[in-house]
Amino acid sequence: MSQTIYEKYGGFKTISRIVMTFYEMALDSDQIGGYFEDIDMPRLIDHQTKFISSLVGGPASFSDERIEAVHRHLNISHADFDEMAELFAEALSQHGMSEPDIRTCLAAIEEKRSIIVVRDAA
Amino acid sequence: MSISAINENLLRAIGVGVAVVRASDLSFIFHNEPFAEWFGTPQDGASLTSVLEGLDETELDRVRNEGVKYSVELQIKPKRRTLVFALNISAANSLDEKIMVIECQNITRIRELESMIDSYSTMVERNTRELEREKERVERLLLNLMPRSVYEEFKTFGVVTPQLYENVSVVMLDFVDFTDFAARTDPTITLSELNDIFTAFDRIVEQFGCERIKTIGDAYLAVAGMPDPTPDHATAVAHCATRFLRYLERRNESHPHKWQARIGLGTGAAVGSVVGIQKYVYDVFGPAVNMASRLQVFANPMKIVAPEEMKYALIDEFQVSDLGPEDIKGLGEVSLVNVSSALRASKSKSWT
Repeated sequence: MSQTIYEKYGGFKTISRIVMTFYEMALDSDQIGGYFEDIDMPRLIDHQTKFISSLVGGPASFSDERIEAVHRHLNISHADFDEMAELFAEALSQHGMSEPDIRTCLAAIEEKRSIIVVRDAA
Repeated sequence: MSISAINENLLRAIGVGVAVVRASDLSFIFHNEPFAEWFGTPQDGASLTSVLEGLDETELDRVRNEGVKYSVELQIKPKRRTLVFALNISAANSLDEKIMVIECQNITRIRELESMIDSYSTMVERNTRELEREKERVERLLLNLMPRSVYEEFKTFGVVTPQLYENVSVVMLDFVDFTDFAARTDPTITLSELNDIFTAFDRIVEQFGCERIKTIGDAYLAVAGMPDPTPDHATAVAHCATRFLRYLERRNESHPHKWQARIGLGTGAAVGSVVGIQKYVYDVFGPAVNMASRLQVFANPMKIVAPEEMKYALIDEFQVSDLGPEDIKGLGEVSLVNVSSALRASKSKSWT
């Protein structure tokens, strides 16, 4: 079995830092911060821990149905999605992840674009 | 610099939010930078309860009158964030009037990390449970391939040392005209018939403390006395053999396919071990196994043949009749006996 990015960068030890960084960035962002406005802090942290762990091959997995269900009513645009991906890449790079590994993670997010972004978005 | 000036500078410099209010009307005497940063600069004449919303008035009264400490957590939500503070409010005596000191610590990061650990440990625990279930499935599978004691050895050392068992008995069953049957029947039917019968045999074998070793096509091989030695290994296999035949008789009464089997018993030494590394299988070898497989050929359909040396072990619980000597390949001349279940069920009962 090949090593996941999650294992390569030291597991939860590193992921927890990435989660905190991404959490701060997402809240600060004027593009997507609004989506997190009314969410409880514990829920938001829970969401992002699972989200980031699953993207790098850690111990979490969401079914596509579940991802779609929680995002459907949010009206997320392509611009929102791009912003999120950009912040995520930045958080990864801040914590020393190599370029090719960041690309792998971004490709993993990109696969979910169609179920996260609202269907008739520009 | 006076002591009080040093104290005041200290209070300004630390990262803990500090405020001092008059006990009488809760108006502010002092607040430091972090306090103002978090809760805003108190206006002139503002009271503590208007700056920090959500404080319990009765608790504040108790601080004022009884001098007990009031600890509380406050949340504020500036710009999307939830900030969590731990507050301690205590009474103190200044020179001329009663005052209250408010200390606020920002514990947001601690709460965030706690939430993250909760979230993460839930995921990990779920994964652990899944792994645990997976491990049990693998274990159950391996236990079908080898006896438990052998499995334990295999698990601990990664290999199994071949072991010689001096006193074991073997039962070998083979169907009459199986090749013909298989040739004229749909393979899936053949397989489901065999599966059905062998499953029943497995239950019988388990009931009498024997181990099923393997099936080879239509042949069924089980042993008693290994890997755990037992003194009654001979009767154990004979019990299995008679139950096998009784099961087949009963089954034939209600099934379209009539199965006839020959059974050979053997006794003596055998070696048991795991054979192979990737595709391992637990197998047995030795005189007892050879004997059972040779004698099975000499049995008439639905009969059980055993060597004469098993006669005295079986004679109390089974009907044993002499068949006379036969020349058997690899074994030389062997006196054979026929074994069948005791005539009356009541007779076997009297022995229990």
